[in-house]
Amino acid sequence: MARDLALLIPEIAVLLTAVGALIAEMLRRPQIALLVAVSGLIVATGLTVSLIGEDTTVFGGSFRVDDLSVWAKLILLPATILAIFLARVDVRGTVREGTVYSLLCFATIGALVLAGAGDTMFLVLGTLLTGLATFALVAYPDTDPATEAAMKFFVFASVTGAIMIFGLSYWFGAAGSTLLADLPGMDTMPMAVLLGFVAVVVGLGYKASLVPFHFWAPDAYEGGPLSIAAYLSVVPKIGALFALAQVVRDLPPESGWTAIIAGLAVLTMTYGYLAALVQDNVVRLLAYSSIAQSGYFLLGILAVGASELALPSIILFAAAYAAMNLGAFAVAANIGRTLNDFDGLGRSQPLIGIAMVIFLLSLVGIPPLAGFVGKFLLFAAAIDVQYTWVAVVAIINSVLSLAVYLRLVVPMYRQGNVVVARTDIWLKAVLIIALTVTLLLGVFAQVFVGPFA
Amino acid sequence: MLPLVSLTLFLPLVGAVLILCLPKPATRTVHVIAIITAALTLIGALSMWFQGASGAGFSQVEELQWIPAIGAAYRVGVDGISLPLVLLSAVLFLVAVIYTSSLRERPRAYIALVLLLETASIGTFTALDGILFYVFFEVSLVSMYFMIAGWGHEDRQRAALMFFIYTLLGSLPLLLAILGLYLGSPEPTFDMRAWIENPPLEGAAAMWALVAMLITFAVKIPAVPLHTWLPAAHVQAPTVGSVILAGVMLKFGTYGLVRFALQMTPDAFREAGVVVLVLGVVSALYGAFAALAQSDLKRLVAYTSVNHMGYVIVGVAVAAITLDPSVRTVALDGAVLQMFSHGLVTGALFLLVGMIQDRAHTREMGELGGLLKTVPMLGWTFVLAAFASLGLPGLAHFPAEFQIFLATLSASPAAVVVILGIAIIAGTFLKALRETFLGEPRQRWQSMPDLSAREWLAVGPLLVLTVGTGVAPSWVLGIIHRTTSALAL
Repeated sequence: MARDLALLIPEIAVLLTAVGALIAEMLRRPQIALLVAVSGLIVATGLTVSLIGEDTTVFGGSFRVDDLSVWAKLILLPATILAIFLARVDVRGTVREGTVYSLLCFATIGALVLAGAGDTMFLVLGTLLTGLATFALVAYPDTDPATEAAMKFFVFASVTGAIMIFGLSYWFGAAGSTLLADLPGMDTMPMAVLLGFVAVVVGLGYKASLVPFHFWAPDAYEGGPLSIAAYLSVVPKIGALFALAQVVRDLPPESGWTAIIAGLAVLTMTYGYLAALVQDNVVRLLAYSSIAQSGYFLLGILAVGASELALPSIILFAAAYAAMNLGAFAVAANIGRTLNDFDGLGRSQPLIGIAMVIFLLSLVGIPPLAGFVGKFLLFAAAIDVQYTWVAVVAIINSVLSLAVYLRLVVPMYRQGNVVVARTDIWLKAVLIIALTVTLLLGVFAQVFVGPFA
Repeated sequence: MLPLVSLTLFLPLVGAVLILCLPKPATRTVHVIAIITAALTLIGALSMWFQGASGAGFSQVEELQWIPAIGAAYRVGVDGISLPLVLLSAVLFLVAVIYTSSLRERPRAYIALVLLLETASIGTFTALDGILFYVFFEVSLVSMYFMIAGWGHEDRQRAALMFFIYTLLGSLPLLLAILGLYLGSPEPTFDMRAWIENPPLEGAAAMWALVAMLITFAVKIPAVPLHTWLPAAHVQAPTVGSVILAGVMLKFGTYGLVRFALQMTPDAFREAGVVVLVLGVVSALYGAFAALAQSDLKRLVAYTSVNHMGYVIVGVAVAAITLDPSVRTVALDGAVLQMFSHGLVTGALFLLVGMIQDRAHTREMGELGGLLKTVPMLGWTFVLAAFASLGLPGLAHFPAEFQIFLATLSASPAAVVVILGIAIIAGTFLKALRETFLGEPRQRWQSMPDLSAREWLAVGPLLVLTVGTGVAPSWVLGIIHRTTSALAL
């Protein structure tokens, strides 16, 4: 018991942080809530470092402390800090500022629970925890679009959550246990395996905004505050994708789950970029782009269990994606929400312009930026398990994505209006951190890949 | 022992960062830093040249751990095939920054892009690691995109977009091939030396990898029918962009054809050799005829590049097909020397076309005329470069093309039909010279100034090297030959 709790110290630290921030808010001290949230998350990140390389389970196998869950903490906790910085700009001075910081911490616990899930019940718990916290965050501005977006988000979540629980009941019936580690016992009942898996994909796919469960995403991103959109596109998404990786690790390979993932990957990437191609609203464009990026994660998930490259590729891409996507959202928070706002940005604000170009090129996967290293390993993982055709589709989509992102870059270097950027210290901090990671991740890739080989 | 290769490779990048970091530098300072950086890089390339390359394998190898878990490392080095190309890049970038020193429009960003491109180019030629090669290969794309989009002519946005998407689509198959080679290696590694020593793929897998590489390199070279981005990009690109695009970046394609396709999938290349040979012949002839049909001077030079690169493809294909090692050596000697010569000659031609455009603001040959009398120095330099380009003996292209045709004749005589290209290119240039430079000088161009000192400094070295390589090709061939004759395929 003591050992189990010791291994869960980072999660406990985040929980205490969330509670601490809430208490500070109750005392009407939003500044303190901010301080507690940020410092608590930093401490939790620090506490995680000693767990690198750990591969064990706690509480009877129901929660895993392995590479996926440890790296989820190392990626998602800093990402949450950056999201809090962005949120600070959005909500400063509003009535319940501190609740935002507290809710962000709660939602992150949900994502961490998902990423370390070793039991089907943790999948349910994780989706509910992130869901409940994020509905409130989307609705926070209390405007009509925000309320509508939160409503949509909520209805979608309830339906997909119900489907997931329904499907999980099949697994429980077939395996006689809720532990993921007992799933291989169902290999005599392929139908039950597949039915349950489809249901899990619905539940987690909504959270990761995979096509066709993505409909809520562009509306929620556009309706809510930008900082929450940035958060939603990174933290819950990566949590859900890591959870999917945890699930497929134990699925019997002959059940045909790889075909489902391959199909979803192709659908998600292609639809995401095609839809992004016709957006005029930068937030919606980034929303569809982040939908498409989820499809790339699936290439790595395809290879889980069969290729040594699978987990390193997912983790590395998650780190890259978190940095470049938060960076792109931070620039949008600086400049504005429509394509017209970006006219002439590169000329009047050269540094922000260069940063945005770097984030976007990294999203395309142009070397030597972070996105390239991640995608490169994802492609390698997919080819390694004989899914070369999915890698080819992914590569063609990368070209399509270039067309999408250049729609933002081209107006930036037009003779345009003089763009006035907000000079918030918080936004600058996010930009600098995200830029540094995007530029240097490739050089230090060994750190992420090392423990596995 | 100084890490010469890495120093030469990253010097331009350091220069670029320096320029970007200076707070509001004067235009003059920017250009001075650029010229000093490019000159130092040339000194680095020259010292690499004098270090030389041993026969088999790579010399001056520098290695640094990067991602040992997947067998990727920072590995650079040179052999007789890459060394001339490194020297060529260093020379061309130096003359390019000299030429561009009159630029007043946002020089800081422009120079930074040029220097970034120099690092990418030298890196592409010296990389000995699959990932590293790909990284440099793609970085060059990005900087060229911004050069065309930011400083090009009338229709630059569209041309830049087409260039970027076309060549990105083209280079992604190479990524697949690199992954294939990696996963096929007995001990997973991205070390290109291991891939060359022991080609990891065979049978259908090797053929697929070869097809993927051929697509990538055919776009880059460019070979017909994947050449359509080239005229658009060249016409819209600023002069220096054209010089580098034609002089250096087209060589990525032919260099890759030798380094990757020929050396890493030799058996598949031998099987598919005839197809590649036909591709080369068609490319060379099509390029020549297309050049003949142009009225725009810059497009004309762009199409002659398609023709000259076609000869390189022929040379490499012959080297793959032939079973006689001596013929293979001659073919490869010719192909590599052709890359070197083409860089010098086409670099000079694009510079000269740029100078004409700076003065006349047109590139239409019909509107020019009689320039030989108005601007004799510019005129005669152009005549010299044009003669070099059409393969006149004593100038750079002749020894290269001669060796290629010689090898072709003994390996697959039918393909010698490609020699027709020479005649057509000769016709093209003679027509261009007549329309542009001969005839009575026109009133419009009376006040046109002749070459300035800056322009002499830019174009002069290229012409000296063109003559030098033509008269005594052995100074380059010696180093090429040492490697090609030791090449085991």
